[in-house]
Amino acid sequence: MSVTETVLKHLEKFSGTDQVRKDLNIDLFGEKLLDSLASIELVLALSEDFGLDLAPGEIEREEWATPQKIIDYFEARVKQG
Amino acid sequence: MHLIEQIDSWSQSHPGRIAHISGDTTLTYQQLTSQSNKLAQHLLTAFPNDHSPIALLGHKQTEMLAGFLGCIKAGHPYIPLDSSLPTQRVEAIVRTADATLLTVDQLKEIIANTDVPDNFKIHAPKIGNPWYIIFTSGSTGIPKGVTITRRNLENFLEWILDEQDFKEAGEVFLNQAPFSFDLSVMDLYSSLATGGTLFSVSKDEIAEPKKLYKSLGSSGVTVWVSTPSFARLCLMDINFSEKMMPHLRKFWFCGETLAPEIASTLLERFPNAEVWNTYGPTEAAVATTSILITKEIIAKYRPLPVGRPKPGTLVEVHAEDGQPTPSGERGEIIIAGPNVSPGYVNQMEATSKAFFILDDQRAYHTGDWGHVQDDLIFFDGRMDFQIKLNGYRIEIGDIESNLHTVSNVQDAVVILAMKNERADYLAAFVILKSRPEQTDFEIMREMKKQLGERLPDYMMPRKFVFLSEFPTTPNGKVDRAKLAETLQ
Repeated sequence: MSVTETVLKHLEKFSGTDQVRKDLNIDLFGEKLLDSLASIELVLALSEDFGLDLAPGEIEREEWATPQKIIDYFEARVKQG
Repeated sequence: MHLIEQIDSWSQSHPGRIAHISGDTTLTYQQLTSQSNKLAQHLLTAFPNDHSPIALLGHKQTEMLAGFLGCIKAGHPYIPLDSSLPTQRVEAIVRTADATLLTVDQLKEIIANTDVPDNFKIHAPKIGNPWYIIFTSGSTGIPKGVTITRRNLENFLEWILDEQDFKEAGEVFLNQAPFSFDLSVMDLYSSLATGGTLFSVSKDEIAEPKKLYKSLGSSGVTVWVSTPSFARLCLMDINFSEKMMPHLRKFWFCGETLAPEIASTLLERFPNAEVWNTYGPTEAAVATTSILITKEIIAKYRPLPVGRPKPGTLVEVHAEDGQPTPSGERGEIIIAGPNVSPGYVNQMEATSKAFFILDDQRAYHTGDWGHVQDDLIFFDGRMDFQIKLNGYRIEIGDIESNLHTVSNVQDAVVILAMKNERADYLAAFVILKSRPEQTDFEIMREMKKQLGERLPDYMMPRKFVFLSEFPTTPNGKVDRAKLAETLQ
């Protein structure tokens, strides 16, 4: 599964709407689609799927503000290995 | 000694000790006494011979503490309201309690512009008078205000200060819960009564994990007071351990079920800290039972026990006939004693339904299932549609009633989605009166907007599902179990 699809699959589950697929620039926090607990759970779920060792405390909220930003973040991390 | 005198005594013995840290702002005990006296003086002048409640609207600002104590010193019970509450809910609370509303900005202005005369005298509440009123979710959509008297609060404090053995003028208490949630009473008054420092984390910090962990790491917290959900959130970062918070010596939980996995992970990551589980409804002043959770307890019991009753309070599990159940048998948890509230403010019917007299003591029907085993009390869930989500007490009926006021809603049912046997999120199943030319997301966004004017964020369903009809049980009721299955 591609990085994009993996991120969107989890994001759809945590936000409860498929709008995150339709609008990759939607403001996840502004639209209240993610709260702090859901965003930390999302970090952990994606870290596990990508085999990365991410700590929620390392991530800036701004880096996770839209689906596209999360996809970009993980594409960069996966490339780094 | 009267509790308010006990709190003020720290400004004499330790005037420079920090009473409250909130973000970059600190408040010493001397400032707390001075500011609370100013507010009391203002209230005594503005409302002579009046003891009606004062609703204080703010978040974790240091002026809120001065506000609470100022109200008490002027003989008014206070109603703590968090600024995250929507305006309509604040208005409903103020109306129900027949209260005067003061915002934190008004508190700041009063503190800045009030002089306290030399003959200033405290008019603190007598033993049976109300100290605070905390509003909880009400099943009909109108919040219920639980009155807690000075007797209730002092009785609770006497117990915990004896049991927990806090160091005088030596502890730093974590304040995670908003002041509008009675869990905060546990850290607020334990701290103020012992000359401790209250360390508040704000909702903005909680919303941004990076800030939260940084703040916790530099807090110096020695006593952790939170819901188990908040500890679970923190534990998701592997760096949350004794190394991050080396002074932490006690985790003290209330507000919801403590999962064994959370307790055991805490004991692993904080080998020098104790983990305490407590239980109690707002109606019986914060907590009524407690237990120190050890590795042995975790190995022996699932779910974990909520402990033994505090001295002087009766906690029993009753069968439908009002008699105590045999050991191991499920029934309703009943609490009777000096910590039980006089009732709901201006809600006689709700009060007479929930409160009664047992063995000459004021008693409360918790509506909680429980059982007794090995002389320990166990909480087995709710008898009705009240739920706990992230520590917040929510009546499903409260959300459903408010959903019915949203335009174009014909019928609505709210379900708590579960994940690994824990409460995960709320889902609303909605039948629309007519289907507009909009996507589901656009309809949901409009509903959230309208609902957000009435309900706090923690009561907002995460997911909205639009249906043409609800599945029903053979007797014609909405089949909630079937709706819940669709969320798996």
